[in-house]
Amino acid sequence: MIKTDVLVIGSGPAGSSAAKHAALGGADVILIDKKSEIGAPKRCAEGVSKGGLENLGIKPNPRWVTKELDGVRLVSPNGTNVWMTSDEIKLPEAGYILERKVFDKHMAMDAARAGAEIRVKTLAKGMKKDKDSYIVTCEHMEDLFEIKAKIIIAADGPESRVARWAGLKTATKAKNMESGIQFEMCGVEMEKQDVIEFYFGSVAPGGYAWIFPKGEDIANVGLAVIALDTDKTAYQHLIEFVENCPATQNAQAVELNVGGDPVGGMPKKIYGDNLLVVGDAAGQVNPLTGGGIISGMTGGMHAGIVAAEAIVEEDYSEKKLKQYDKNVREDIGDEIDKYLKVKDYALSLSDEELDSVAKAFQDIEFKKVSTTELVKSLVKVSPKALLKLGKLI
Amino acid sequence: MIVKDWCMYCGECAGVCPKNLIEVKEITLIFDDKDCKECNTCVKACPISALEKG
Repeated sequence: MIKTDVLVIGSGPAGSSAAKHAALGGADVILIDKKSEIGAPKRCAEGVSKGGLENLGIKPNPRWVTKELDGVRLVSPNGTNVWMTSDEIKLPEAGYILERKVFDKHMAMDAARAGAEIRVKTLAKGMKKDKDSYIVTCEHMEDLFEIKAKIIIAADGPESRVARWAGLKTATKAKNMESGIQFEMCGVEMEKQDVIEFYFGSVAPGGYAWIFPKGEDIANVGLAVIALDTDKTAYQHLIEFVENCPATQNAQAVELNVGGDPVGGMPKKIYGDNLLVVGDAAGQVNPLTGGGIISGMTGGMHAGIVAAEAIVEEDYSEKKLKQYDKNVREDIGDEIDKYLKVKDYALSLSDEELDSVAKAFQDIEFKKVSTTELVKSLVKVSPKALLKLGKLI
Repeated sequence: MIVKDWCMYCGECAGVCPKNLIEVKEITLIFDDKDCKECNTCVKACPISALEKG
């Protein structure tokens, strides 16, 4: 049996961030991923904020940044545009579109350079408690073997199976699971090359559609729906969107991506004796945008730091590991709760109401692009929004 | 459960399965059928209709 201090299950950005910080804190770390290639296939529209990366201490690298963004375009169901770019406002949304297949590998390499041992194509099949540790059954090709770890960090994505083996309630309810689907396309004719576009309304019930530029004529064109809110599949919605959107009339898909995105916020409990849960597995996703790279990596960082401390103190109890919960909720918990309320409100609007909000937004001078700024403006133009969201600002 | 051969192993079904019965490997999906209560949550969640009740 292999023994280690910390076993991280899943090498997405959250898991790699956890492994890196646990290793930097002096712990022996093993990081496993079931896939043969970390980062592929992507299940993501690849947008990330500059500030978010900076806060995590990650310097942008031309090998995984495909596009620097200049702003945002919001499109209502009847085609009313709200442009929030540097022509219109002083501080447009500052962000990048990544190449996740490269980015994820680089994050795993950071973990390896910090001292973590990576094992690819290694699946966690089950887990049992053994005194003050867990024993995880792993599968690599035809070999079944066990890894005994003082602390498990569950970073197994939207599936979130590992935490459930330990008795935590991390399943995502169907009403909170976005079904995401996306083409990466070439020949996309965007009005502005460095603006991310969001399309709202019945084009994507329970979610929205997007076009995220990746340089030249390349873009991620996708959408997410709540399956319970529509009789069509996510794929049918995407085909319709691509058929109708002016930007994709001459576009060709070179890739099809699918995946779930948990947008119900963090479950009540994301830690236990010898266990921490991070990333999508812990609902660390902005419920409004569905973005989870930065929040997941932030969760991973806090988990890695606390895990390393716990190893030094030889205390892997729930009581000690609760520190992670406190740190991560202080850092991103309030934001997630706030965006959850804004999302619920936004999804309650009919196509006509969205059109009238978009029309009213055209007369507003935005100082910067942020969700808070958008909510402030929403409250200004809509009495219904003031009623529901007034308390948030 | 019948897994169609166009399944892309994204694991969304595993995430919504209330009983945690779905194991997603790199290119294999395994259902623990004996405990399945046929709630159909996974079938409905699949973005590309790759699951069908057996």
